Amino acid sequence: MSDDIRRLSDELARDPSSLVFIQLGEELRRTGQLDLALRVALRGLERHPHDADAHDLLARIHVDRNELTAAFDEWDTVLKLAPGHVGARKGVGYVLFKQGRLTEAERYLTQASAQNGADPSIATALHMVRRMLHFTDGAEAQAASSDGNGATPLAEAGRRVEEEARRLFAEILGEGEQTALLLDASGLVTAGLYVTEDGRDVGQEVGASLAGIREDAARAAEHLGLGAWSSVTFETDVATVAMAPVLDDSLVLVAAARSVPLGLVRRVLQQCGRRASAWLGATS
Amino acid sequence: MSTTQFTGLISALTRQRGVLGCLVVSERDGIIVDADVQAGVDAAAVAALAAALYRRARLCSEAAGLSRVGFLQLESERGHICAAGRDDLVAVVIAETGAPVAQLRTVILQSVDSLV
Repeated sequence: MSDDIRRLSDELARDPSSLVFIQLGEELRRTGQLDLALRVALRGLERHPHDADAHDLLARIHVDRNELTAAFDEWDTVLKLAPGHVGARKGVGYVLFKQGRLTEAERYLTQASAQNGADPSIATALHMVRRMLHFTDGAEAQAASSDGNGATPLAEAGRRVEEEARRLFAEILGEGEQTALLLDASGLVTAGLYVTEDGRDVGQEVGASLAGIREDAARAAEHLGLGAWSSVTFETDVATVAMAPVLDDSLVLVAAARSVPLGLVRRVLQQCGRRASAWLGATS
Repeated sequence: MSTTQFTGLISALTRQRGVLGCLVVSERDGIIVDADVQAGVDAAAVAALAAALYRRARLCSEAAGLSRVGFLQLESERGHICAAGRDDLVAVVIAETGAPVAQLRTVILQSVDSLV
């Protein structure tokens, strides 16, 4: 048992009417103790049936248990209690997306994004939904329906979005010794690939190592009165890596063999940045 | 001003046109080891931020299997931060927009061997 869970449990034992059960339930959920989290949330709701955050917690536990209908009902309750609840709008959008109700999902995610544009998970989900709508021509793609070959329209649209994202920079990069990635604010790969010489895709690892570099670069430039930053480039023994901010929260990265001149790497970076902006902007 | 083992490196870099300051910092904790910066430059903050940037570049390079990081440059509207490191030490240069970055790159990479 983690120190946090022990501390929160003790606090709840001292005062069973406390709202600390929400933090405790969240901590248990986060650490994968879903049965225990569910019990804590249900007991807490017996005392606080009108607390929106408690219903939000229960909804997230249901999602983790793959109980989407129950999660939807809980978030629906949250929105009745607190109509502007961002977490509930995001949650409902997620459930609708999973159910293939893309148009409705887009509406909820758009509302959530308008309220909290800084949340990269909302931006990424909204982008995904909009691209899928594009590939389904705006038609609903119910998860249960099938094209007769076993593939649902939803799965097919998802596959096409994935392929589109994976090949976003392919035209710009050509067959050269270079690769490019588009990362969101959390460092998660939104598009592109990073394949090593031995064929491994290390995009997620590269992205994770760079999470927060946008803020670091902006802080450094701002602190020195250097204005907005436009790129960070570094050279290693075998490659040149260049990155630049894209729109409000994304980052585009290009890596090229050392044999590629630095000036060319920068040009490729600019082209990839424009391509990424257009792709992300087309759906925002 | 006292002389340290980094004085030669720092003066070689601060002599370059457009350079506003030069620092030697610890990549691990962003602490200044030696510095010569113009008045008005918050050296401690620059050291911490530049070390953080360089550390991220190193972690990225490790994740991608790209070997040791050499020269790093942050380009912005009104200037540059350039850096190169060896072991735990990083030489950091702050320069104006018009500074000759290619020349700075050469000097900083030549100087980095003295970072021990």
